[in-house]
Amino acid sequence: MSDALRFEWVRIRTLRSTYWLIASALLLNLVGAVAVALTTPPLNHEIVGAALTGGGADLPVPFAAVFLATMGILATGHEYRYGTIQPTLTTVPRRSALFAAKLTVLAATALAVAVVSLLADIVAVLAVWGEVPALTGPPFDEALPGYLVLVVLWTVLGAALAQLFRSVPAALTVLLVVPLIVEQLIFSLSYVPALNWLAPVVKFLPFAAGQRLIHVGGTDYSEFFDRWVSGGVLTVFVAIVLAVAWTLFTRRDA
Amino acid sequence: MITATALHKRYGDRVAVDRLSFEVRPGVVTGFLGPNGAGKSTTMRLMLGLDHGGGETLFDGRRFTAIRHPAREIGAVLEAKAFHPTRSARNHLLMLAAGSGIAASRTDEVLEFVGLADVAHKKPRSFSLGMAQRLGLAQALLGDPATLILDEPANGLDPHGIHWLRDTLKSLADEGRTILVSSHLLSEMSLMADEVVVIGRGSMIYNGIVDGFVREFTHATVLVRSPEADRLSHALRRAVHDVDIHVLDDGALRVSGMPMGDIGEVAYRNNIMVRELTARTASLEDAFITATAASEEYVAGGVE
Repeated sequence: MSDALRFEWVRIRTLRSTYWLIASALLLNLVGAVAVALTTPPLNHEIVGAALTGGGADLPVPFAAVFLATMGILATGHEYRYGTIQPTLTTVPRRSALFAAKLTVLAATALAVAVVSLLADIVAVLAVWGEVPALTGPPFDEALPGYLVLVVLWTVLGAALAQLFRSVPAALTVLLVVPLIVEQLIFSLSYVPALNWLAPVVKFLPFAAGQRLIHVGGTDYSEFFDRWVSGGVLTVFVAIVLAVAWTLFTRRDA
Repeated sequence: MITATALHKRYGDRVAVDRLSFEVRPGVVTGFLGPNGAGKSTTMRLMLGLDHGGGETLFDGRRFTAIRHPAREIGAVLEAKAFHPTRSARNHLLMLAAGSGIAASRTDEVLEFVGLADVAHKKPRSFSLGMAQRLGLAQALLGDPATLILDEPANGLDPHGIHWLRDTLKSLADEGRTILVSSHLLSEMSLMADEVVVIGRGSMIYNGIVDGFVREFTHATVLVRSPEADRLSHALRRAVHDVDIHVLDDGALRVSGMPMGDIGEVAYRNNIMVRELTARTASLEDAFITATAASEEYVAGGVE
């Protein structure tokens, strides 16, 4: 496993795309934080949450996490796009160890980037507002760790989807189309009286449920589980995709 | 020593590799030959655990996937351009070295050895096929392995590159390494390989020394020029019943099924003047075409 981790660490840091994806995630969140801080005073938890977590829970996707999920997609998808899976597997032939190393390095990188992003956003809003509400108390004592979990889950999901499809475009499509179109459509249709049977389904939509990890208050337009159970819904979805991708990776021809 | 036993691979109803068993000995270059679609690449992928199938390949008694640092024992390159186009050649090798516990300094040594030191920090997206092949060889040699498995390493190399590859592989074999190389360049293979594994439609055709393969699948011929070609033909047929004699356009005879010395003796005994006696040895290409004619997967139409 240590050889696989060293391999993956060198792999991820010798790609230019790693740097611009991380830089894009940090910059997007920072610009968002500054924009929110400049246009609105810290009136309530929602505004502070939106400034610190790149838009808050009401957005269909956590935008910074999309960049890190793309890093995950490239980590597995490019192995097939460029045929590097052959030198990879002739160097580290134990596939489960390799996949575990990929996920570990990606998750650790995503976690570090999310922490840096949060700290940068806090410093930015502090500079503009001159103060920041207590982040160690409710709801931020749970929402900020929730943000870190959300970013890691998206990153792992990106890698799992690209491994499952062995295709960068297919993984990107699923990662964007499902939360931005499919789930939003189901969410909207659940308000149609004839389709109100969809309402109980909404809390099981994985991406929408995942956004509850960074929920800090405001109007709820649908019924959801609480923060950590909702996070569990996304986690179960990621785990299912991961399990299928992992199984196929060990069984398929390279 | 590579020992492949009953390698088997099936895609649906089609058998790609049919219970192939062979050995690749150390100290010699072994050519892996077969027509397009014969199953060479699939066999190599099975050997390295890249594809799942039946059978077993042992490298000095161990399966590839059971070796902790396989790159230190088996250098394998199955595709010339298996690298990320924006990761520099040196970083590509550094990544592989990191996964194999190989010192980073070794990457510079192998890049120097294959002649890519000047482009070590360049992104390989613009590499020619020949440069990509050299990077592939650097990758294979990274762990200074005792075994090399190379799929078409001469593709894209210029004549100097091919000459260099041949000398390199032969000198590596002389050091006692086990080398299995597939190639379509039969003239090159005849200069490079000491032994061959020849397959067709996934099945074994021949495994042994090159000369034995040529002898088994071709007939040596003798070119004979004589002012009394007709009389000589009759004399040869009287001497050996099933001798095969073709009269060429210029009146010369092409004789097969009779050694050159015997032809000279028959001519001498019959007082027939002979102006030329030339033994013509069949080539590896002749043997390959004969051996694999029935197992060609893709056959082009003739020229009208």
